[in-house]
Amino acid sequence: MSTPTAAISIKGLTKDFAVTLRGVKLRAVDALNLEVAEGQVYGLLGPNGSGKSTTIKILLGLLEPTVGDVRVFGVPSSQVEARRNVGYLPEAPYFYRYLSGRELVRFYARICGVSGSILKARVDEVIAWVGLSGAADRRVGTYSKGMLQRIGLAQALVHDPKLIVLDEPTAGVDPVGSAEMCELIVKLKQQGKTVLITSHLLAQIEDVCDRVAILDRGKLIVEGSVLELVGQRDRQALIVDPLPAADIEALRGWLAARGHSLNAVEQPRARLDQLFLSKVSRPNRPGDASAGVGSNEVPLDAKP
Amino acid sequence: MSVATVPFSFNRLGLIAGNTFLEAVRQKLFNFLLLLAIGLVASAQFFREFNFGSSELKFIADFGFGALVFFGSALTIATTAQLFFSEIENRTALTLLAKPLWRAEFVFGKFLGVFAVIGVFCALTIGLMLALLWHREGQLMTADPEAFTAGRIIAYGDLVVVGLLQWLKFGVLTAIVLLIASFSNTNLFTVVTGFFVLVICHLQYLARDAWGKVDNAFLAAVVQGLSFLFPNFQLFNLADSIGQGGGVDGAVALRVAGYGLAYIAVIGGLAVYSFRNREI
Repeated sequence: MSTPTAAISIKGLTKDFAVTLRGVKLRAVDALNLEVAEGQVYGLLGPNGSGKSTTIKILLGLLEPTVGDVRVFGVPSSQVEARRNVGYLPEAPYFYRYLSGRELVRFYARICGVSGSILKARVDEVIAWVGLSGAADRRVGTYSKGMLQRIGLAQALVHDPKLIVLDEPTAGVDPVGSAEMCELIVKLKQQGKTVLITSHLLAQIEDVCDRVAILDRGKLIVEGSVLELVGQRDRQALIVDPLPAADIEALRGWLAARGHSLNAVEQPRARLDQLFLSKVSRPNRPGDASAGVGSNEVPLDAKP
Repeated sequence: MSVATVPFSFNRLGLIAGNTFLEAVRQKLFNFLLLLAIGLVASAQFFREFNFGSSELKFIADFGFGALVFFGSALTIATTAQLFFSEIENRTALTLLAKPLWRAEFVFGKFLGVFAVIGVFCALTIGLMLALLWHREGQLMTADPEAFTAGRIIAYGDLVVVGLLQWLKFGVLTAIVLLIASFSNTNLFTVVTGFFVLVICHLQYLARDAWGKVDNAFLAAVVQGLSFLFPNFQLFNLADSIGQGGGVDGAVALRVAGYGLAYIAVIGGLAVYSFRNREI
Protein backbone atom coordinates (compact mmCIF):
# COMPACT_ATOMS: atom_id res chain seq x y z
CA MET A 1 0.00 0.00 0.00
CA SER A 2 1.43 3.34 -0.99
CA THR A 3 1.81 6.09 1.55
CA PRO A 4 -1.00 8.63 1.63
CA THR A 5 1.28 11.41 0.46
CA ALA A 6 2.70 9.61 -2.57
CA ALA A 7 2.04 11.75 -5.63
CA ILE A 8 3.18 8.93 -7.89
CA SER A 9 3.28 5.27 -7.05
CA ILE A 10 4.62 2.79 -9.60
CA LYS A 11 4.74 -0.88 -8.64
CA GLY A 12 6.06 -3.68 -10.81
CA LEU A 13 5.45 -1.76 -14.02
CA THR A 14 6.26 -3.65 -17.20
CA LYS A 15 5.36 -2.49 -20.68
CA ASP A 16 5.82 -4.56 -23.83
CA PHE A 17 5.26 -3.34 -27.37
CA ALA A 18 4.54 -5.77 -30.19
CA VAL A 19 7.10 -5.02 -32.89
CA THR A 20 6.23 -7.69 -35.44
CA LEU A 21 3.10 -9.46 -36.53
CA ARG A 22 4.61 -12.73 -35.27
CA GLY A 23 4.26 -11.46 -31.74
CA VAL A 24 7.87 -10.47 -31.08
CA LYS A 25 7.79 -7.93 -28.30
CA LEU A 26 10.01 -5.10 -27.20
CA ARG A 27 10.16 -4.57 -23.45
CA ALA A 28 10.22 -0.80 -22.95
CA VAL A 29 9.80 -0.84 -19.17
CA ASP A 30 10.84 -3.77 -17.01
CA ALA A 31 9.50 -4.31 -13.47
CA LEU A 32 9.85 -0.67 -12.48
CA ASN A 33 9.15 0.44 -8.93
CA LEU A 34 9.11 4.14 -8.07
CA GLU A 35 7.49 6.35 -5.52
CA VAL A 36 7.48 10.14 -5.68
CA ALA A 37 6.44 11.96 -2.53
CA GLU A 38 4.25 15.03 -2.71
CA GLY A 39 6.24 18.27 -3.01
CA GLN A 40 9.34 16.71 -4.53
CA VAL A 41 11.07 17.61 -7.77
CA TYR A 42 11.91 14.21 -9.18
CA GLY A 43 14.20 13.62 -12.13
CA LEU A 44 13.77 10.66 -14.44
CA LEU A 45 17.02 10.13 -16.31
CA GLY A 46 18.24 7.74 -18.92
CA PRO A 47 19.50 7.45 -22.46
CA ASN A 48 17.17 7.40 -25.45
CA GLY A 49 15.01 4.28 -25.40
CA SER A 50 15.42 3.75 -21.67
CA GLY A 51 11.68 3.86 -21.01
CA LYS A 52 11.28 7.38 -19.60
CA SER A 53 8.65 8.59 -22.05
CA THR A 54 6.80 5.27 -21.94
CA THR A 55 6.62 5.51 -18.16
CA ILE A 56 5.29 9.06 -18.41
CA LYS A 57 2.70 8.05 -21.00
CA ILE A 58 1.45 5.26 -18.76
CA LEU A 59 1.33 7.71 -15.87
CA LEU A 60 -0.89 9.97 -18.00
CA GLY A 61 -3.19 7.16 -19.12
CA LEU A 62 -2.03 7.41 -22.73
CA LEU A 63 -0.70 3.84 -22.63
CA GLU A 64 -1.90 0.80 -20.72
CA PRO A 65 0.66 -1.10 -18.63
CA THR A 66 1.26 -4.71 -19.62
CA VAL A 67 1.77 -5.57 -15.95
CA GLY A 68 1.87 -3.45 -12.84
CA ASP A 69 0.09 -0.80 -10.89
CA VAL A 70 0.52 2.94 -11.52
CA ARG A 71 -1.27 5.46 -9.36
CA VAL A 72 -1.42 9.24 -9.22
CA PHE A 73 -2.41 10.49 -5.76
CA GLY A 74 -3.81 7.04 -5.13
CA VAL A 75 -5.96 6.88 -8.27
CA PRO A 76 -5.13 4.29 -10.97
CA SER A 77 -3.55 6.16 -13.88
CA SER A 78 -5.92 4.59 -16.41
CA GLN A 79 -8.84 6.49 -14.88
CA VAL A 80 -9.76 9.97 -16.11
CA GLU A 81 -9.97 11.09 -12.47
CA ALA A 82 -6.23 10.57 -12.11
CA ARG A 83 -5.56 13.37 -14.58
CA ARG A 84 -7.57 15.96 -12.69
CA ASN A 85 -4.50 16.94 -10.68
CA VAL A 86 -1.89 16.54 -13.39
CA GLY A 87 -0.41 19.10 -15.75
CA TYR A 88 1.68 17.81 -18.65
CA LEU A 89 4.21 19.50 -20.89
CA PRO A 90 5.17 17.07 -23.70
CA GLU A 91 8.58 16.93 -25.31
CA ALA A 92 8.88 19.43 -28.20
CA PRO A 93 5.28 20.54 -27.80
CA TYR A 94 3.21 21.40 -30.83
CA PHE A 95 0.03 23.35 -30.33
CA TYR A 96 -2.77 24.63 -32.54
CA ARG A 97 -0.86 27.15 -34.62
CA TYR A 98 -3.89 29.20 -35.57
CA LEU A 99 -4.74 30.07 -31.96
CA SER A 100 -3.11 32.91 -30.07
CA GLY A 101 -1.24 32.04 -26.88
CA ARG A 102 -4.12 33.39 -24.80
CA GLU A 103 -6.73 31.46 -26.80
CA LEU A 104 -4.69 28.29 -26.44
CA VAL A 105 -4.35 28.53 -22.67
CA ARG A 106 -8.01 29.47 -22.42
CA PHE A 107 -8.97 26.41 -24.49
CA TYR A 108 -7.05 24.04 -22.24
CA ALA A 109 -8.35 25.79 -19.14
CA ARG A 110 -11.92 25.19 -20.25
CA ILE A 111 -11.13 21.57 -21.09
CA CYS A 112 -9.93 21.22 -17.49
CA GLY A 113 -13.14 22.73 -16.16
CA VAL A 114 -11.86 26.21 -15.30
CA SER A 115 -14.79 28.48 -16.04
CA GLY A 116 -16.81 31.45 -14.94
CA SER A 117 -15.26 34.50 -13.33
CA ILE A 118 -11.89 32.89 -12.56
CA LEU A 119 -11.21 31.78 -16.13
CA LYS A 120 -9.86 35.06 -17.48
CA ALA A 121 -7.96 35.86 -14.30
CA ARG A 122 -6.36 32.44 -14.22
CA VAL A 123 -5.38 32.52 -17.91
CA ASP A 124 -3.83 35.98 -17.55
CA GLU A 125 -2.08 34.88 -14.38
CA VAL A 126 -0.31 31.83 -15.80
CA ILE A 127 0.61 33.65 -19.02
CA ALA A 128 2.22 36.40 -16.98
CA TRP A 129 3.87 33.86 -14.73
CA VAL A 130 5.65 32.18 -17.65
CA GLY A 131 6.60 35.59 -19.01
CA LEU A 132 4.49 35.68 -22.16
CA SER A 133 2.14 38.59 -21.45
CA GLY A 134 3.68 40.63 -24.23
CA ALA A 135 3.17 37.85 -26.79
CA ALA A 136 -0.10 36.39 -25.54
CA ASP A 137 -2.13 37.72 -28.45
CA ARG A 138 0.27 36.51 -31.11
CA ARG A 139 -0.46 33.30 -32.96
CA VAL A 140 1.30 30.26 -31.51
CA GLY A 141 2.60 29.51 -35.00
CA THR A 142 4.91 32.53 -34.71
CA TYR A 143 6.44 31.46 -31.37
CA SER A 144 10.07 30.42 -30.92
CA LYS A 145 10.90 27.06 -29.31
CA GLY A 146 11.49 28.67 -25.94
CA MET A 147 8.17 30.48 -26.13
CA LEU A 148 6.42 27.25 -27.09
CA GLN A 149 7.87 25.60 -24.01
CA ARG A 150 6.65 28.44 -21.83
CA ILE A 151 3.14 28.52 -23.31
CA GLY A 152 3.19 24.73 -22.88
CA LEU A 153 4.00 25.20 -19.23
CA ALA A 154 1.20 27.75 -18.95
CA GLN A 155 -1.36 25.27 -20.32
CA ALA A 156 -0.02 22.62 -17.97
CA LEU A 157 -0.46 24.90 -14.95
CA VAL A 158 -3.70 26.64 -15.84
CA HIS A 159 -5.96 24.32 -13.80
CA ASP A 160 -3.62 24.53 -10.80
CA PRO A 161 -2.59 20.85 -10.73
CA LYS A 162 -0.71 19.32 -7.82
CA LEU A 163 1.57 17.26 -10.09
CA ILE A 164 3.37 18.68 -13.11
CA VAL A 165 5.01 16.29 -15.59
CA LEU A 166 7.68 17.86 -17.78
CA ASP A 167 9.04 15.69 -20.57
CA GLU A 168 12.36 17.14 -21.77
CA PRO A 169 11.28 20.72 -21.03
CA THR A 170 14.55 22.22 -22.24
CA ALA A 171 15.04 20.15 -25.40
CA GLY A 172 16.05 22.43 -28.25
CA VAL A 173 15.90 25.53 -26.08
CA ASP A 174 18.86 27.91 -25.78
CA PRO A 175 20.73 28.21 -22.46
CA VAL A 176 18.81 31.34 -21.49
CA GLY A 177 15.48 29.61 -22.07
CA SER A 178 16.72 26.53 -20.23
CA ALA A 179 17.78 28.60 -17.25
CA GLU A 180 14.41 30.32 -17.17
CA MET A 181 12.66 26.97 -17.28
CA CYS A 182 14.78 25.80 -14.33
CA GLU A 183 13.85 28.92 -12.41
CA LEU A 184 10.19 28.20 -13.05
CA ILE A 185 10.63 24.64 -11.80
CA VAL A 186 12.25 25.90 -8.61
CA LYS A 187 9.34 28.29 -8.09
CA LEU A 188 6.88 25.43 -8.59
CA LYS A 189 8.69 23.51 -5.88
CA GLN A 190 8.48 26.54 -3.59
CA GLN A 191 4.72 26.50 -4.10
CA GLY A 192 4.57 22.90 -2.95
CA LYS A 193 3.97 21.35 -6.35
CA THR A 194 5.28 17.92 -7.23
CA VAL A 195 7.31 17.97 -10.42
CA LEU A 196 8.37 14.95 -12.45
CA ILE A 197 10.97 15.95 -15.02
CA THR A 198 12.93 14.10 -17.67
CA SER A 199 15.96 15.70 -19.28
CA HIS A 200 19.20 14.89 -21.01
CA LEU A 201 20.79 18.01 -19.52
CA LEU A 202 22.06 16.37 -16.36
CA ALA A 203 23.55 19.55 -14.90
CA GLN A 204 20.11 21.12 -14.86
CA ILE A 205 18.55 18.06 -13.28
CA GLU A 206 21.20 18.16 -10.61
CA ASP A 207 20.40 21.81 -9.90
CA VAL A 208 16.65 21.48 -9.51
CA CYS A 209 15.86 17.91 -8.46
CA ASP A 210 15.49 16.53 -4.96
CA ARG A 211 15.66 12.93 -6.09
CA VAL A 212 16.54 11.20 -9.34
CA ALA A 213 16.07 7.78 -10.88
CA ILE A 214 18.23 6.50 -13.70
CA LEU A 215 16.66 4.06 -16.15
CA ASP A 216 18.47 1.93 -18.70
CA ARG A 217 16.72 -0.44 -21.10
CA GLY A 218 13.57 -0.10 -19.08
CA LYS A 219 15.15 -1.07 -15.77
CA LEU A 220 15.76 1.08 -12.74
CA ILE A 221 19.51 1.31 -12.24
CA VAL A 222 19.91 3.92 -9.52
CA GLU A 223 17.48 5.83 -7.35
CA GLY A 224 18.05 8.30 -4.56
CA SER A 225 18.49 11.92 -3.51
CA VAL A 226 20.87 13.99 -5.60
CA LEU A 227 23.06 14.60 -2.56
CA GLU A 228 23.30 10.88 -1.80
CA LEU A 229 24.15 9.96 -5.35
CA VAL A 230 26.68 12.58 -6.38
CA GLY A 231 28.00 13.90 -3.04
CA GLN A 232 31.41 12.51 -1.91
CA ARG A 233 30.86 12.19 1.79
CA ASP A 234 34.44 11.07 2.51
CA ARG A 235 35.96 14.17 0.96
CA GLN A 236 35.88 17.97 1.38
CA ALA A 237 36.96 20.90 -0.79
CA LEU A 238 38.40 24.10 0.66
CA ILE A 239 38.34 27.13 -1.64
CA VAL A 240 41.14 29.57 -0.77
CA ASP A 241 42.98 32.48 -2.36
CA PRO A 242 45.87 31.44 -4.63
CA LEU A 243 48.76 29.99 -2.57
CA PRO A 244 52.45 29.91 -3.51
CA ALA A 245 53.95 26.46 -4.08
CA ALA A 246 55.85 26.63 -0.78
CA ASP A 247 52.66 27.27 1.17
CA ILE A 248 50.94 24.36 -0.55
CA GLU A 249 53.80 22.08 0.49
CA ALA A 250 53.57 23.41 4.03
CA LEU A 251 49.85 22.73 4.05
CA ARG A 252 50.45 19.22 2.75
CA GLY A 253 52.87 18.59 5.60
CA TRP A 254 50.49 20.08 8.17
CA LEU A 255 47.71 17.80 6.98
CA ALA A 256 50.01 14.75 6.91
CA ALA A 257 51.02 15.42 10.51
CA ARG A 258 47.31 15.08 11.42
CA GLY A 259 46.75 11.92 9.39
CA HIS A 260 45.12 13.59 6.38
CA SER A 261 46.21 13.92 2.80
CA LEU A 262 45.98 16.70 0.27
CA ASN A 263 44.57 14.85 -2.73
CA ALA A 264 44.35 17.57 -5.34
CA VAL A 265 45.26 21.19 -5.92
CA GLU A 266 43.34 22.69 -8.82
CA GLN A 267 41.83 25.94 -9.93
CA PRO A 268 38.04 26.08 -9.49
CA ARG A 269 36.13 26.62 -12.72
CA ALA A 270 32.80 28.25 -13.32
CA ARG A 271 30.37 26.17 -15.37
CA LEU A 272 30.14 27.15 -19.00
CA ASP A 273 26.38 27.68 -18.80
CA GLN A 274 26.90 30.07 -15.87
CA LEU A 275 29.46 32.02 -17.88
CA PHE A 276 27.07 32.10 -20.85
CA LEU A 277 24.20 33.38 -18.77
CA SER A 278 26.36 36.07 -17.17
CA LYS A 279 27.50 37.36 -20.57
CA VAL A 280 24.32 37.09 -22.66
CA SER A 281 21.60 39.63 -22.06
CA ARG A 282 18.35 38.06 -20.96
CA PRO A 283 15.17 39.24 -22.60
CA ASN A 284 13.37 41.95 -20.73
CA ARG A 285 9.66 41.29 -20.51
CA PRO A 286 7.90 44.44 -19.36
CA GLY A 287 4.45 43.82 -18.00
CA ASP A 288 5.16 40.36 -16.69
CA ALA A 289 5.50 41.70 -13.19
CA SER A 290 1.74 42.01 -13.23
CA ALA A 291 1.49 38.33 -12.39
CA GLY A 292 -0.78 38.58 -9.43
CA VAL A 293 -1.98 36.07 -6.93
CA GLY A 294 -5.28 34.62 -8.00
CA SER A 295 -8.00 32.98 -6.05
CA ASN A 296 -6.55 29.49 -6.40
CA GLU A 297 -5.45 27.36 -3.52
CA VAL A 298 -1.84 27.40 -4.60
CA PRO A 299 -0.98 30.85 -5.88
CA LEU A 300 1.53 31.58 -8.57
CA ASP A 301 3.38 34.20 -6.73
CA ALA A 302 5.94 35.80 -9.00
CA LYS A 303 7.31 36.22 -12.45
CA PRO A 304 10.35 34.24 -13.52
CA MET B 1 -9.40 5.67 -2.08
CA SER B 2 -12.58 7.35 -3.20
CA VAL B 3 -12.31 10.23 -5.63
CA ALA B 4 -14.80 12.46 -7.34
CA THR B 5 -15.53 11.09 -10.76
CA VAL B 6 -15.19 13.18 -13.90
CA PRO B 7 -18.58 13.02 -15.62
CA PHE B 8 -19.04 13.01 -19.38
CA SER B 9 -19.21 16.68 -20.31
CA PHE B 10 -21.07 18.18 -23.25
CA ASN B 11 -19.13 21.38 -22.58
CA ARG B 12 -15.80 19.64 -23.26
CA LEU B 13 -17.34 17.85 -26.23
CA GLY B 14 -18.44 21.23 -27.60
CA LEU B 15 -14.94 22.65 -27.09
CA ILE B 16 -13.37 19.83 -29.08
CA ALA B 17 -16.02 20.22 -31.79
CA GLY B 18 -15.53 23.98 -31.94
CA ASN B 19 -11.78 23.65 -32.21
CA THR B 20 -12.13 20.97 -34.90
CA PHE B 21 -14.49 23.22 -36.86
CA LEU B 22 -12.09 26.15 -36.56
CA GLU B 23 -9.18 24.03 -37.76
CA ALA B 24 -11.20 22.65 -40.70
CA VAL B 25 -12.42 25.96 -42.08
CA ARG B 26 -8.87 27.29 -42.00
CA GLN B 27 -7.70 24.46 -44.24
CA LYS B 28 -7.23 25.08 -47.93
CA LEU B 29 -8.94 21.79 -48.80
CA PHE B 30 -12.27 22.90 -47.37
CA ASN B 31 -12.20 26.24 -49.15
CA PHE B 32 -11.02 24.63 -52.39
CA LEU B 33 -13.77 21.98 -52.46
CA LEU B 34 -16.39 24.50 -51.39
CA LEU B 35 -15.43 26.84 -54.21
CA LEU B 36 -15.41 23.95 -56.70
CA ALA B 37 -18.86 22.78 -55.61
CA ILE B 38 -20.30 26.28 -55.68
CA GLY B 39 -18.71 26.89 -59.06
CA LEU B 40 -20.17 23.68 -60.43
CA VAL B 41 -23.65 24.39 -59.08
CA ALA B 42 -23.50 27.94 -60.39
CA SER B 43 -22.44 26.71 -63.80
CA ALA B 44 -25.45 24.38 -64.10
CA GLN B 45 -27.39 27.03 -66.04
CA PHE B 46 -24.71 26.98 -68.73
CA PHE B 47 -25.24 23.24 -69.30
CA ARG B 48 -28.99 23.46 -69.77
CA GLU B 49 -28.69 22.25 -73.33
CA PHE B 50 -27.26 18.93 -72.04
CA ASN B 51 -30.29 17.96 -70.01
CA PHE B 52 -30.60 14.51 -71.60
CA GLY B 53 -34.32 14.88 -72.05
CA SER B 54 -35.28 15.69 -68.47
CA SER B 55 -36.86 18.99 -67.62
CA GLU B 56 -34.51 21.91 -67.31
CA LEU B 57 -35.33 22.56 -63.66
CA LYS B 58 -34.86 18.91 -62.76
CA PHE B 59 -31.53 18.99 -64.54
CA ILE B 60 -30.39 21.95 -62.43
CA ALA B 61 -31.52 20.13 -59.26
CA ASP B 62 -29.80 16.90 -60.29
CA PHE B 63 -26.66 18.77 -61.24
CA GLY B 64 -26.63 20.56 -57.89
CA PHE B 65 -27.15 17.38 -55.89
CA GLY B 66 -24.52 15.65 -58.00
CA ALA B 67 -22.00 18.32 -57.08
CA LEU B 68 -23.10 18.11 -53.45
CA VAL B 69 -22.70 14.33 -53.30
CA PHE B 70 -19.40 14.21 -55.15
CA PHE B 71 -17.57 17.04 -53.40
CA GLY B 72 -19.35 16.42 -50.12
CA SER B 73 -18.15 12.80 -50.05
CA ALA B 74 -14.58 13.80 -50.89
CA LEU B 75 -14.65 16.57 -48.31
CA THR B 76 -16.10 14.31 -45.62
CA ILE B 77 -13.51 11.57 -46.05
CA ALA B 78 -10.50 13.85 -46.49
CA THR B 79 -11.44 16.29 -43.73
CA THR B 80 -12.30 13.63 -41.16
CA ALA B 81 -9.06 11.74 -41.75
CA GLN B 82 -6.97 14.90 -41.86
CA LEU B 83 -8.41 16.42 -38.69
CA PHE B 84 -8.04 13.16 -36.78
CA PHE B 85 -4.48 12.43 -37.85
CA SER B 86 -3.32 16.02 -37.46
CA GLU B 87 -4.02 15.58 -33.74
CA ILE B 88 -2.07 12.31 -33.62
CA GLU B 89 0.84 13.27 -35.87
CA ASN B 90 1.29 16.74 -34.41
CA ARG B 91 1.00 15.28 -30.92
CA THR B 92 -1.66 17.75 -29.87
CA ALA B 93 -3.66 14.65 -28.91
CA LEU B 94 -1.01 13.90 -26.27
CA THR B 95 -1.59 17.21 -24.54
CA LEU B 96 -5.33 16.97 -24.91
CA LEU B 97 -5.78 13.38 -23.73
CA ALA B 98 -3.45 14.01 -20.78
CA LYS B 99 -6.21 16.32 -19.48
CA PRO B 100 -9.25 15.03 -17.60
CA LEU B 101 -11.01 14.27 -20.89
CA TRP B 102 -12.87 11.12 -21.87
CA ARG B 103 -11.84 9.58 -25.15
CA ALA B 104 -15.54 9.43 -26.04
CA GLU B 105 -15.62 13.23 -25.71
CA PHE B 106 -12.64 13.44 -28.05
CA VAL B 107 -14.15 11.15 -30.70
CA PHE B 108 -17.66 12.62 -30.60
CA GLY B 109 -16.18 16.13 -30.48
CA LYS B 110 -14.26 15.37 -33.64
CA PHE B 111 -17.43 13.95 -35.18
CA LEU B 112 -19.51 17.01 -34.35
CA GLY B 113 -16.79 19.38 -35.58
CA VAL B 114 -16.58 17.65 -38.96
CA PHE B 115 -20.37 17.30 -39.11
CA ALA B 116 -20.68 21.06 -38.60
CA VAL B 117 -18.14 21.73 -41.35
CA ILE B 118 -20.05 19.48 -43.75
CA GLY B 119 -23.24 21.21 -42.64
CA VAL B 120 -21.82 24.57 -43.72
CA PHE B 121 -20.75 23.04 -47.03
CA CYS B 122 -24.22 21.55 -47.63
CA ALA B 123 -26.01 24.74 -46.59
CA LEU B 124 -23.97 26.92 -48.96
CA THR B 125 -24.22 24.49 -51.89
CA ILE B 126 -27.96 23.83 -51.49
CA GLY B 127 -28.66 27.50 -50.79
CA LEU B 128 -27.00 28.44 -54.08
CA MET B 129 -28.84 25.68 -55.93
CA LEU B 130 -32.20 26.83 -54.55
CA ALA B 131 -31.45 30.42 -55.52
CA LEU B 132 -30.57 29.31 -59.06
CA LEU B 133 -33.73 27.20 -59.33
CA TRP B 134 -35.90 30.03 -58.00
CA HIS B 135 -34.37 32.48 -60.43
CA ARG B 136 -34.68 30.17 -63.45
CA GLU B 137 -38.20 29.08 -62.54
CA GLY B 138 -39.16 32.75 -62.33
CA GLN B 139 -37.76 33.33 -65.82
CA LEU B 140 -39.66 30.33 -67.18
CA MET B 141 -42.87 31.48 -65.51
CA THR B 142 -42.55 34.83 -67.25
CA ALA B 143 -41.73 33.25 -70.61
CA ASP B 144 -44.45 30.57 -70.49
CA PRO B 145 -47.13 31.42 -67.87
CA GLU B 146 -49.49 28.68 -69.07
CA ALA B 147 -47.06 25.99 -67.96
CA PHE B 148 -47.23 27.36 -64.42
CA THR B 149 -50.90 28.01 -63.95
CA ALA B 150 -50.80 26.26 -60.57
CA GLY B 151 -47.83 28.35 -59.44
CA ARG B 152 -44.27 27.17 -58.93
CA ILE B 153 -43.72 23.48 -59.55
CA ILE B 154 -40.50 23.04 -57.55
CA ALA B 155 -41.04 21.86 -53.98
CA TYR B 156 -38.30 23.92 -52.35
CA GLY B 157 -39.06 22.61 -48.87
CA ASP B 158 -38.61 19.07 -50.12
CA LEU B 159 -35.27 20.02 -51.65
CA VAL B 160 -34.19 21.25 -48.25
CA VAL B 161 -35.31 17.94 -46.72
CA VAL B 162 -33.28 16.02 -49.30
CA GLY B 163 -30.31 18.27 -48.57
CA LEU B 164 -30.66 17.55 -44.85
CA LEU B 165 -30.74 13.83 -45.56
CA GLN B 166 -27.59 14.15 -47.66
CA TRP B 167 -25.96 15.95 -44.72
CA LEU B 168 -27.04 13.08 -42.49
CA LYS B 169 -25.55 10.61 -44.97
CA PHE B 170 -22.27 12.51 -44.76
CA GLY B 171 -22.63 12.18 -40.98
CA VAL B 172 -22.76 8.40 -41.35
CA LEU B 173 -19.71 8.58 -43.61
CA THR B 174 -17.91 10.74 -41.03
CA ALA B 175 -18.60 8.12 -38.34
CA ILE B 176 -17.29 5.38 -40.66
CA VAL B 177 -14.07 7.28 -41.39
CA LEU B 178 -13.60 7.98 -37.67
CA LEU B 179 -14.00 4.27 -36.97
CA ILE B 180 -11.32 3.46 -39.56
CA ALA B 181 -9.05 6.22 -38.22
CA SER B 182 -9.44 4.96 -34.67
CA PHE B 183 -7.36 1.85 -35.47
CA SER B 184 -5.50 2.94 -38.61
CA ASN B 185 -1.89 4.07 -38.46
CA THR B 186 -1.88 6.41 -41.43
CA ASN B 187 -3.96 9.11 -42.97
CA LEU B 188 -3.56 7.57 -46.44
CA PHE B 189 -4.90 4.16 -45.37
CA THR B 190 -7.89 5.87 -43.76
CA VAL B 191 -8.70 7.92 -46.85
CA VAL B 192 -8.34 5.00 -49.28
CA THR B 193 -10.37 2.65 -47.08
CA GLY B 194 -12.95 5.39 -46.57
CA PHE B 195 -13.46 5.70 -50.32
CA PHE B 196 -13.77 1.91 -50.66
CA VAL B 197 -16.42 1.82 -47.98
CA LEU B 198 -18.21 4.75 -49.64
CA VAL B 199 -18.45 2.76 -52.88
CA ILE B 200 -19.61 -0.34 -51.00
CA CYS B 201 -22.28 1.69 -49.20
CA HIS B 202 -23.54 3.06 -52.50
CA LEU B 203 -23.64 -0.40 -54.07
CA GLN B 204 -24.71 -2.48 -51.12
CA TYR B 205 -28.32 -2.49 -52.24
CA LEU B 206 -27.16 -5.05 -54.80
CA ALA B 207 -26.22 -7.38 -51.95
CA ARG B 208 -29.50 -6.60 -50.24
CA ASP B 209 -31.36 -7.55 -53.41
CA ALA B 210 -29.23 -10.65 -53.89
CA TRP B 211 -29.68 -12.38 -50.56
CA GLY B 212 -33.24 -13.42 -51.39
CA LYS B 213 -32.03 -15.09 -54.56
CA VAL B 214 -29.21 -17.11 -53.00
CA ASP B 215 -30.20 -20.75 -52.46
CA ASN B 216 -27.48 -21.63 -49.95
CA ALA B 217 -28.77 -20.60 -46.51
CA PHE B 218 -25.30 -19.91 -45.13
CA LEU B 219 -24.33 -17.71 -48.07
CA ALA B 220 -27.66 -15.95 -47.89
CA ALA B 221 -27.03 -15.21 -44.22
CA VAL B 222 -23.54 -13.88 -45.00
CA VAL B 223 -24.88 -11.62 -47.76
CA GLN B 224 -27.66 -10.46 -45.48
CA GLY B 225 -25.18 -9.77 -42.69
CA LEU B 226 -22.99 -7.74 -45.03
CA SER B 227 -25.94 -5.74 -46.19
CA PHE B 228 -26.62 -4.74 -42.58
CA LEU B 229 -22.94 -4.12 -41.85
CA PHE B 230 -22.69 -1.38 -44.45
CA PRO B 231 -25.37 1.31 -44.50
CA ASN B 232 -27.34 1.67 -47.71
CA PHE B 233 -26.56 5.15 -49.03
CA GLN B 234 -29.06 4.80 -51.87
CA LEU B 235 -31.84 5.23 -49.32
CA PHE B 236 -30.81 8.86 -48.86
CA ASN B 237 -31.42 9.73 -52.52
CA LEU B 238 -34.99 10.99 -52.46
CA ALA B 239 -34.49 13.74 -55.01
CA ASP B 240 -35.57 11.85 -58.12
CA SER B 241 -39.16 13.05 -58.20
CA ILE B 242 -38.34 16.66 -57.34
CA GLY B 243 -38.27 18.99 -60.32
CA GLN B 244 -41.02 17.08 -62.05
CA GLY B 245 -43.74 18.22 -59.74
CA GLY B 246 -43.29 15.37 -57.28
CA GLY B 247 -42.32 15.64 -53.64
CA VAL B 248 -40.79 13.77 -50.75
CA ASP B 249 -42.90 11.52 -48.56
CA GLY B 250 -42.45 12.87 -45.01
CA ALA B 251 -42.79 9.46 -43.41
CA VAL B 252 -40.11 8.03 -45.68
CA ALA B 253 -37.81 10.96 -44.93
CA LEU B 254 -38.28 10.40 -41.20
CA ARG B 255 -37.53 6.68 -41.54
CA VAL B 256 -34.37 7.43 -43.51
CA ALA B 257 -33.31 10.00 -40.91
CA GLY B 258 -33.83 7.43 -38.15
CA TYR B 259 -31.85 4.91 -40.19
CA GLY B 260 -28.95 7.36 -40.54
CA LEU B 261 -28.99 8.37 -36.89
CA ALA B 262 -29.01 4.72 -35.80
CA TYR B 263 -25.94 3.99 -37.93
CA ILE B 264 -24.17 7.11 -36.61
CA ALA B 265 -24.83 5.99 -33.03
CA VAL B 266 -23.66 2.42 -33.59
CA ILE B 267 -20.60 3.24 -35.71
CA GLY B 268 -19.68 6.17 -33.45
CA GLY B 269 -19.90 3.84 -30.46
CA LEU B 270 -17.61 1.35 -32.18
CA ALA B 271 -15.15 4.18 -32.96
CA VAL B 272 -15.09 5.18 -29.30
CA TYR B 273 -14.56 1.58 -28.22
CA SER B 274 -11.72 1.15 -30.70
CA PHE B 275 -10.10 4.48 -29.79
CA ARG B 276 -10.26 3.71 -26.06
CA ASN B 277 -7.86 0.86 -26.64
CA ARG B 278 -5.54 2.83 -28.90
CA GLU B 279 -2.11 3.60 -27.54
CA ILE B 280 -1.23 7.22 -28.28
